[in-house]
Amino acid sequence: MITAENVTNYLEQTILKRKADNGGFLSSIAHKQPCPVATSWAILACLACGNKTEAIKIARMYLSTLQREDGRICLDENYTAAFWPTALAILAWQGATDYKNQYNQAIQFLLKTTGIHYKKKADSPLGHDTSIQGWPWIEKTHSWTEPTALSILALKIAGCTEHARVKEGLRMIMDRQLDRGGWNYGNITIFGKELFPIPDSTAIAISALVGSVSRADIDKSIYYLKSQIDKIKAPFSLGWGILGLSAWNERPANIEEKITESLALQKKYGAFQTPLLSLLLIACKAPNGLPGIFRTES
Amino acid sequence: MKVTIRNFISTQNGLTRRQFLWGTLAGTSTLALGLPMYRLYENGFRCDTFIARMKDYQLDISGIVRSGFQELGVSPAEIKGKRILLKPNLVEPHSEKPHINTHPLFVRGVAEAFLHLGAAKVYIAEGTGHCRDTIYILEESGFSEIIKEDRLPFVDINYDEVFKKANAGKYTKCSSFFLPGILKETDWIVSLPKLKTHHWSGVTLSMKNLFGLMPGSYYGWPKNVLHSMGIEQSILDINATVKPHFAIVDGIIGMEGDGPIMGTPKASHVIVMGRNLTAVDATCARVMGIDPHKIHYLSAASGRLGPISERNIRQVGETIKSVRINFALEENMPAHRYIRI
Repeated sequence: MITAENVTNYLEQTILKRKADNGGFLSSIAHKQPCPVATSWAILACLACGNKTEAIKIARMYLSTLQREDGRICLDENYTAAFWPTALAILAWQGATDYKNQYNQAIQFLLKTTGIHYKKKADSPLGHDTSIQGWPWIEKTHSWTEPTALSILALKIAGCTEHARVKEGLRMIMDRQLDRGGWNYGNITIFGKELFPIPDSTAIAISALVGSVSRADIDKSIYYLKSQIDKIKAPFSLGWGILGLSAWNERPANIEEKITESLALQKKYGAFQTPLLSLLLIACKAPNGLPGIFRTES
Repeated sequence: MKVTIRNFISTQNGLTRRQFLWGTLAGTSTLALGLPMYRLYENGFRCDTFIARMKDYQLDISGIVRSGFQELGVSPAEIKGKRILLKPNLVEPHSEKPHINTHPLFVRGVAEAFLHLGAAKVYIAEGTGHCRDTIYILEESGFSEIIKEDRLPFVDINYDEVFKKANAGKYTKCSSFFLPGILKETDWIVSLPKLKTHHWSGVTLSMKNLFGLMPGSYYGWPKNVLHSMGIEQSILDINATVKPHFAIVDGIIGMEGDGPIMGTPKASHVIVMGRNLTAVDATCARVMGIDPHKIHYLSAASGRLGPISERNIRQVGETIKSVRINFALEENMPAHRYIRI
């Protein structure tokens, strides 16, 4: 039985059981092949725990085998357009001296890559500034909240805070903040009507903005997320919600209890995938948000 | 987009002999007379749709769906032992706005109807398009109870393993699609959309609902790859490639105006169902007071994926006239202009 007392141990053990023979991590026990997203998140979870050196080492090696010449890490070797795991791989390689070249190549790839951007026509139904460059999910599409926020997080942790692309990405994130507070996938108004915020997008966005904007700039969004967090049980929104609020010194109370409740949803939906378990473990272990897990690594 | 003779001919392989003969006759007439006869006869497609009144989600949805099956010739022998995939329309997690998503009691009723006819297994599957956290949407939209109490397995298509399938539509430049593995493990794909207007495509019904079969991991959130290729063209390609088997539309409470999210609830009190999604969507459009010939993706699907002309759709159950209720359209949206019947 999972309890608040043993929840982190349960998460650690369950994640480690998903390790494949080649060092990568499976998304779930049902998956046949490891995947870069599950592997990156598992590495981050291991980093958060601080004592899984061997697992981290071989998982990073597996990630390096997936890297393309231009530095990208793709979701699927048959589909190079889905390069969104690159930001996660940068985080996973953070501080790893053995993979400095791969890490730098991935950073260079992100810095020279953007989505489709254009100057909006006067009669455009879209409310946001379509010309501000961020990062897309998939090559040759528009930039959206989460891939931009993840890229900013990775690049800032890698020390690129002052890079023009990071600054422009931050500007894009701020441009996509809803007037009512919060973020969604990345549209603010369509045909003049403001859309609704979503907790996970909001949490990832505020995580990326730490240290780059003032509290007053996003207070309404923090307020929105705080108003939602106590009723959220779903692991993705809960994990990111805890990390986002923690990064802004608003860490919710009773984290382990909340995560235990979330894990109980597995009875309904089946075993959570590795990225979700990892996110929950990191949420337990990172009182200051995601960047905090890198401070203790040697 | 218009259906041209060129792409009409290119689809011959997918037609029955009767459809081919109708098409040949119509195509010849077109060439000889310069008249779009193929549109009139729609390649010989003749389909049935069933319309039922349904006032409330608390009523016997399963019973009505079973009546519809009977009227449409779906027999227990056809369903027995089959694995059924139900694809509702789950867009965003706003519990106070139940007109956004297909209602969970509707999905429960449909699942019960299939199980009553002897289905071996019924899955609910969705790849939500705006919110990455599918579990959050399920919890917020009331699906959580259905999944737990009815023990209906849910498949998150956004993170399912994929397989590649050649694009059978060729309306976009995409040569193939990544489709979720669950499609290989099911015998029937059933689209369960909400009856809604849509700010980009005019309406969003059973055919557009299949956007949710495209994994977000491969197509993004929103499914921007599909938007970039053209929403209407993508609708046609996905339907031509996936080849869904059935549609049952939740029109008990629909959405009018600025759909698919920001519109207002519309108590239209209908269920529309049928084997051919093009015909079902055309019927739904008429129920909403919208001319399906003026909806681009339906106009293009006419004669290729199914019929949209009233003459080629046999209506069973209620008549369109008896249930028609005009859905509000927004003048500032190009897709809503001039589409009223």
